[in-house]
Amino acid sequence: MEYLTLQNIGLVTGFMLMLIGLYGALTQKNILRIIVAFTIFDAGLNLVIVALSYIKGRVAPIIDQTTGVTNLSEKFVDPIPQALVLTSIVIGVGVTGVMLTFALRMFKTRHSLDINDFKQTKW
Amino acid sequence: MYKNMFIILLLAGFGLLLGSFLLTHHEYLSLPQLPAYYADNTAPEVGAANVVTAVVVTYRGFDTLGEVTILFVAASLIAMFLKHSKAPRHDRHPRPSSVILSTSQKLLFPLIVLFGAYVFANGHLTPGGGFQGGAIIATGFLLLLMANPQAEFKHGLLNAIESISGTSYVIIGILGAILGLGFLDNRFISLGQLGTLFSAGAIPVIYSLIGLKVGAELSNILHHLNEVQNEE
Amino acid sequence: MVSPVHIVSIGLITAFLLGLGKKSQQQMLVFVLMIATAAMTMVSGSWLIGLMTGSLKPTDVFTAGFKPPFAINLRMTMDEAVLTTMVNVFGFLTVIYLFDVLKKAGKHLLSIIVVFLIGLNVVVMTRDLFNLFVFLEITSIATAGLVIIIQDSKSISAGFKFLMASSVISGILLIGIIFAYSYVGNLNIDFMTNLSMVKGGAVAVFLVMTAIILESKQFPANGWALDMYESAHPAIGSALSAVSAPAILFVVYKLMPMVPENWHPVIGLLGLITFAFSNFLATRQENIRRMLGYSSVAQGGLMLTVVAMSVYFGQSFWFIILGFLLTNFFAKAGLFWLNGIVNSDDQNKWGILRKRPVLFFLFGVFVVAMAGLPPFPTFFAKWEMIMQLAQGNGWGWIVLILLGSIFEIAFLFKWFGRVFHAVKDQPAEPVIPWFKEFPVMLFGAGILATSYYFIKYQQFDNLFVLIPLLIVAAFVVIDFLPAFIKNILLIAALTFYGYIIYPEIKGNIMQLVFMSVFLVGGILTLIPGFATKGTRAGFYPFAAMTIFGLIMLVNPGDNLTFFMGWEQMALGSYILILRGKKAERPAQQYMLFSAGGAYLMLAAFGMLPHFAGDTFFGNLSGLIPGAGVVFVLFALGFMLKTAAIGLHIWLPGAYSEAEDDATPLVSGVLINAGVLGLFWIVTSFGPQQLFGYDIFQLMGWIGAITAIGGNMLAIYEEDMKRLIAYSSVGAMGYIIFALSMDSKLGLLIALYYMVLHFIYKTMLFMSAAGVIYRTKTRNMYEMGGLIKSMPWSFIVVLIGIITLAGMPPLAGFAGKWMFYNAVVMKGWYLQGTMVFFSGIVAFLYLYKLIASVFLGQLKDNHRRVKEAPFVYLLPQFIFVIAIMVLSIFPQVLLEPLATIIPDRVPGEAILWDGRLAMTSFGYWNAFAVMTTVIVMFATIFLWLTYHSRKAQKVKQFNIVFAAERPFRPETTHVSYNMFAGYKKALGWLMTPLATQFWTGISDWSTAIADKVRSWYTGNGQTYAMHLLLYAFVLYLLISGGKIL
Repeated sequence: MEYLTLQNIGLVTGFMLMLIGLYGALTQKNILRIIVAFTIFDAGLNLVIVALSYIKGRVAPIIDQTTGVTNLSEKFVDPIPQALVLTSIVIGVGVTGVMLTFALRMFKTRHSLDINDFKQTKW
Repeated sequence: MYKNMFIILLLAGFGLLLGSFLLTHHEYLSLPQLPAYYADNTAPEVGAANVVTAVVVTYRGFDTLGEVTILFVAASLIAMFLKHSKAPRHDRHPRPSSVILSTSQKLLFPLIVLFGAYVFANGHLTPGGGFQGGAIIATGFLLLLMANPQAEFKHGLLNAIESISGTSYVIIGILGAILGLGFLDNRFISLGQLGTLFSAGAIPVIYSLIGLKVGAELSNILHHLNEVQNEE
Repeated sequence: MVSPVHIVSIGLITAFLLGLGKKSQQQMLVFVLMIATAAMTMVSGSWLIGLMTGSLKPTDVFTAGFKPPFAINLRMTMDEAVLTTMVNVFGFLTVIYLFDVLKKAGKHLLSIIVVFLIGLNVVVMTRDLFNLFVFLEITSIATAGLVIIIQDSKSISAGFKFLMASSVISGILLIGIIFAYSYVGNLNIDFMTNLSMVKGGAVAVFLVMTAIILESKQFPANGWALDMYESAHPAIGSALSAVSAPAILFVVYKLMPMVPENWHPVIGLLGLITFAFSNFLATRQENIRRMLGYSSVAQGGLMLTVVAMSVYFGQSFWFIILGFLLTNFFAKAGLFWLNGIVNSDDQNKWGILRKRPVLFFLFGVFVVAMAGLPPFPTFFAKWEMIMQLAQGNGWGWIVLILLGSIFEIAFLFKWFGRVFHAVKDQPAEPVIPWFKEFPVMLFGAGILATSYYFIKYQQFDNLFVLIPLLIVAAFVVIDFLPAFIKNILLIAALTFYGYIIYPEIKGNIMQLVFMSVFLVGGILTLIPGFATKGTRAGFYPFAAMTIFGLIMLVNPGDNLTFFMGWEQMALGSYILILRGKKAERPAQQYMLFSAGGAYLMLAAFGMLPHFAGDTFFGNLSGLIPGAGVVFVLFALGFMLKTAAIGLHIWLPGAYSEAEDDATPLVSGVLINAGVLGLFWIVTSFGPQQLFGYDIFQLMGWIGAITAIGGNMLAIYEEDMKRLIAYSSVGAMGYIIFALSMDSKLGLLIALYYMVLHFIYKTMLFMSAAGVIYRTKTRNMYEMGGLIKSMPWSFIVVLIGIITLAGMPPLAGFAGKWMFYNAVVMKGWYLQGTMVFFSGIVAFLYLYKLIASVFLGQLKDNHRRVKEAPFVYLLPQFIFVIAIMVLSIFPQVLLEPLATIIPDRVPGEAILWDGRLAMTSFGYWNAFAVMTTVIVMFATIFLWLTYHSRKAQKVKQFNIVFAAERPFRPETTHVSYNMFAGYKKALGWLMTPLATQFWTGISDWSTAIADKVRSWYTGNGQTYAMHLLLYAFVLYLLISGGKIL
């Protein structure tokens, strides 16, 4: 049993990035930094997804001269996480864009980017 | 301070939960049934050389429709949100951008757009596709805006491209349901020969539409953000 | 048939094409959107109808033409059809409702709305986990867009908090999905039911499930949602509550097959905690939107419980969940929409609804439906849920549900009462555009129709339930007619009902007695209503509801009917009380105590099948272990209605502040419902023990203390109605005492006294109403000398108090005589003495009543006062005649009453020998007593008349006033501070312990609620942390600290 596989390195890095991102999102006071922290979280998540598709010694799932057209399931890495990660990235872009826009407008209303200044509704 | 300690503890717990995955999960030795099916049957069933594209556009095409919708709704939100600010617009007079930037922009912009188009049109053959191509096109617009922040580009055109390509995408999906076997089925256009540009049925068409749509949307977002900046 | 996938394609094409629209075409674009949502509704609606009629079969739509798990599939069965139809109808109505906003808002908002709907549709239909994630994200972003329709700083920051929370949640969800994929190798929900069995798979299930639970806004990790409810446009709050929440809960339902069985209770309990706490915190909200937000969250919690326990509920699951779901859908949406119409979060501003009777009616309907009172679906759903939980001994669960429900009632009716009494002169006549009213009305119709089907489904007894409900409904419809027509109609309806019901119940004396009390009481108390002019809008439906509610109690066909009648009666009388001018607070108290009592009963009904099977009048005699608890719960519930001491604080306010001519109904007639209940449990349970104590002994003491306490409280009252009200407390103590003696004679006394109290109390209240009607005051020290101007009322009061005091020759004496016998037989000397003493106390206040109102000096401003209207006097004299008949021939009533008492009850019965009543202690002949008294009275009267023939008549001012001119003349009145001396001596007994206790409870809960809700700091970051913390705690709860 080998632990230092490429996949595990990818997974652990991804997990670490996720935790770092979450830590940032929960402790930073500046809204822009919070957004950046969330993108780090997203990046970690995406890395985990991609890492899962990896199988040692296999190639990207694209048919060309080197792969031939037979026995492809023994030559390719898993295509599904790769498709999922694409979706995940696009969603991340959308959410980040929206969050940034919110930040922009929040700054306009209060001239501050401190998350503690936006507690108008509570209790 | 105590709060941060608490958060670290909480995250440590979360980390342990994630870490437990490493203990129970093992790298695949062979593909499970579903991806194996995709790997083996993409060529005969869908006709795309790029299996990921086949998964994205056809097998999980409904997800991709959702993806497009997400970008669309995000762009709409941003447009709605930023347009509402009624602050009086006063012209900024930023330092004109350097000659290098403005000159290279003129040179590069068409090339970038062309490259983007290449990427999405060949999505079923090579790595790439609509989203990637669209993003590349948007970088062209970004370059344009950087070189000339006061630039006014044609809103209407971008909107029209976005709307029409989006609508066409859905219509192709419906055609798949009518002429083919289900919504977003790509096989109502002949699959052609594997590995050529005009193959994989409707996939290149769909991916081109997605590319146009994403490119237009992202450019629009950039444009809106830039306009807000102009207002400040 | 159009494939369900075209809900999505129609929506998306619309969304994309809207982008082509120009600014000048905005109005047209709104119409396009309207058409699109209508088309989406038609697709899902046609599936709903097709599936219901059986012309369509449940289908799977395979996208891309591949079977799952190779491609994403959408499913359309009954469940999905219901939910998508709900979503789309709602979307259509939202577009209409927001017409004015959308007309100005620009095309992007239109796109966002339609995308929001698409997102929810697919979330409901999809069977693919990752696809679910994608469309949840779509819904989230669209939600963020909808929240900022009003682009103020509040909603913008709420939107940002939501985005943060949603990022954390979607992160958890996505990582869960990825793990799930890596364990089972596919993403289709139907192909991963074994996920939790795979080694490590439980973690994936946990992550996915946690994310969805967090998404469903469970307490306490829901600050982001509350802030959103508070700041978003009401129409959007409505969407979040009415369609988003159900869609998410449906996801939970879809995922339940993956979840290991032993997690179900944990998730269910979390939902209930949300239900209880959110409702609790809502009681502290002044801001309407936030309050509705708390309420929405609470309903979500309750539904989560039902969904999580769907396996447990089995067959009843659909009934329960539909009850909650549809009520929440219609009522919550309606309330949010009304909020938008009123356009204020200030409860007092809601008074403008009073100017729109239809909208105000619907407001009431929504509130009552939310509160879970009959005849609305939640009522039945809650009943069924509690019965099911009770079968599995889920007592803790039941406590949580009932606690949550009582808090729910607290804030809903506080709100309703406030609006009911909100100042009517709002600035200008409200202009409400049709497109705002239309959706509210449609949903009002929706909830009524749903209720109709729920009632139909229950297959109630026609005569006892359906006809009464129909009559009540009819009075709602004809509420615009003049009062006297409705009065005639209601009296006619009651008479007719009596006519058709009589053959059904004539064999059962007990039913006959109570039915007559309720029916005759109802009819007679309605008669004074002829004196009111105008339409008296809103009175008759609730008078009918109260009386028919009482009637339902008489039929012990099944427990549900009884409980339904009980709740109906409570609701009807609540409104009757609320109609009083200063009745906002008393009515609120009344509602709370009623509901509290009702929920105790509900719990008891849940336990009942363990002891007695499903029958209502099951014979439970004998000591059954545990039955004591049921008995105590029932007894508390009923004693709340009869206002036993400690539980009585609602009574004086409620009775005295109700409209004067409605008081006889809500007091004299209605209080007997409690007696009915107590009589039922005493006879069917027999002696029971609780922790080794004899419950009857305890009840006897409660009765004795109530008798004395109630009467003591009455003597210091200056307010005529409050005095009579307190006297009811005393009388009920007497009855409780008599019942708890559990002897033949004791029960007979209770029944006899019930009838008698009904007669004299109704009579006294009516007489008081007549006096107040003329003098316009309730303070007795402002009256006096009314004997000349209101002689008939005086006679009624005189007869009433002689009866009450139990003096010979009137009927009250029979009760007293039997009472001596019963107490001596039972040997409860101490308690018995207390009750006798209370009789003496009663003399004090009775004297006060008659002396200060009718005797003494006439007040200047009452010089022109006339006798009470004929319609007031008529029923009073019918009662007087009844008393006279009973006084002379008590056996007419006593003999049939004696047959009701079951043989099991120990003790000696009265033997009748013609007119002579005998027990082993003595005998009594009412007729002889009456004759003797009349002869004596006549002799003295004649003698006096003869003697005073030369006496001079003295006019009121025929004496010289002293030179003194008192500063406050009323303080010189005899009844002003009348029994001050007694108060000095016995005042310490009067320390309002009960009031202090209940106030303490209320203050205490306020303090706790404020402490708890400070958890919601308003900081988005804190909210995000709550989410993680919640997940962490949930993990510990589920795993017990081990690795899953």
